[in-house]
Amino acid sequence: MEHNGRRTFLGVCLGGLAAAVAAVTVWPVYRYLAPRSTRATAARVDIPEKEIPEGEAKFFEFNGASAVLVRKRGGGLIALSAVCTHLGCIVQWEKDKQDFLCPCHGGHYTPDGVVTAGPPPKPLAKLPFSVANGVITVG
Amino acid sequence: MALFKRLIDWIDVRIGAREIVAKELTGYLLPRNINAWYSMGSILLFIFAMQVVTGILLLIYYVPDADKAFKSVSFIMNEVPFGWLIRTCHAIGSNMMVLVLFLHMLSVLFMNSYKSPREFNWLTGFILFTLVQGISLTGYLLPWSQLSFWATTVATNSANAIPVAGPYLVEFLRGSKLVGPPTLGRFFALHVALIPLGMAAVVGAHLFFLQRTGVSTPPFGQKETANQWQGDGYRYESHPGGIPFFPNYALEDLRSIFIYLACFLAVVFFAPNLFFTSDSFLPANPLQTPAHIKPEWYFLANYQTLKIFPNEFIGLSVQGAAMTFLALLPFIDRTRERHPLKRPLFMICAVGGILLWVGLSVWGHYS
Ligand code: HEM
Ligand code: FES
Repeated sequence: MEHNGRRTFLGVCLGGLAAAVAAVTVWPVYRYLAPRSTRATAARVDIPEKEIPEGEAKFFEFNGASAVLVRKRGGGLIALSAVCTHLGCIVQWEKDKQDFLCPCHGGHYTPDGVVTAGPPPKPLAKLPFSVANGVITVG
Repeated sequence: MALFKRLIDWIDVRIGAREIVAKELTGYLLPRNINAWYSMGSILLFIFAMQVVTGILLLIYYVPDADKAFKSVSFIMNEVPFGWLIRTCHAIGSNMMVLVLFLHMLSVLFMNSYKSPREFNWLTGFILFTLVQGISLTGYLLPWSQLSFWATTVATNSANAIPVAGPYLVEFLRGSKLVGPPTLGRFFALHVALIPLGMAAVVGAHLFFLQRTGVSTPPFGQKETANQWQGDGYRYESHPGGIPFFPNYALEDLRSIFIYLACFLAVVFFAPNLFFTSDSFLPANPLQTPAHIKPEWYFLANYQTLKIFPNEFIGLSVQGAAMTFLALLPFIDRTRERHPLKRPLFMICAVGGILLWVGLSVWGHYS
């Protein structure tokens, strides 16, 4: 019994030591491999209003993903995520049809991001923005 | 536990796993007078595995392009979390591998275990020795520092001494007249693909030969130290009543690996720049040769040999002859006696050779 108690104790110590060695090996490797920064691009983007004439769209990088600003016919401005809600392709602006097409599986969205055809399950996400002194600030 | 036993049973009835364990691990008996020097091979396997893992990790951020290589290495060292650790481990590990390889060769040499029937072990070992030199030489260029660039220039230039084919050979090695972007391309391919694969294959052969002949009995502490091999037929050298490889010797191997790790990590953490010089922190500049370009410590003897002979071709031939002698040692040294202390001539040659090598290296370092 005495002998067994010592065995168990040493076994637990050894197991603890092995776990510690594993931890100090895995942690640096994990940190080495971890994505360096999720904010590869700014979380706030300034775009001059005159870059987006009526009926046109402007794509830009926002917060590590693609986003788009559209000025609808009639003047309404809207900022959307350009990432299709189906499987993540980037939508395209079709100026002649005034809608968004996702080329991957033929999803269609209105300029407001509402799904009109194809497989996307949800509308495009809306992004907050403000306009001041002729500059649009997204984020 | 019961579940674990059922899993083992499930595997065992299919592939006879317990039989392999009984034959190759617990029933694999080693000579009773085996010593710690027999762990050098296991340490080398461990180092090789470490080099492969750290090397793959470095590949994630390293860029093999002459314009970007140095920057990518600086990026690994300064920006990537723990990049310094991975890179330092890889660079110091390569030096340690050469060092342990020397110890392994010396132990095999002094215990005379290269003798029949272990010629294949020695020959595959010798090939591994040249491959380790090759992987070190090609890896040295990759950071594209002043040191890499000029050390490679000097090393590849020595092939110039070969008559007739020399100049073309140098150009072929470099992929261009001078060391440049084409050299980086081919050295990179050799360093990360061809040589490691070759090494893995030759290590496999090395272990296969060991498994077929059986481990040698150390000549120390024995009455009869003459080689018992008859050469009349194949016989596995078994050691009845010996020490089981598993768990007994495996634990000794593990202890040796931990002692190695302690030494290795001491260098990594307390002397990380031991093998770097100030020229390794400057990007390569093909128009400016730095003063005192020296090769790595294990090439200093070769470097000095080239310098002391008036004619480079003689210097190169002497080195070629020494390497050939080493490769063919089991065929040259054919006596039966295996105890080094009962072999004065062998001891004089071996110790003399080592002193010569050390002397040349020290001379090369200070010249
Ligand atoms: C990457 C390099 C190498 C690795 C991974 C390696 C690995 C091993 C291993 C695991 C063993 C069995 C255990 C032992 O006796 O240490 C062994 C044995 C042996 N090695 Fe190596 N080795 C390498 C290089 C060399 C070199 C350069 C030589 C000599 C030129 C050599 C000659 C031998 C011999 C003769 C044996 C048989 C020893 C005996 O049975 O007593 N090896 N090697
Ligand atoms: S990803 Fe856009 S429609 Fe499938």
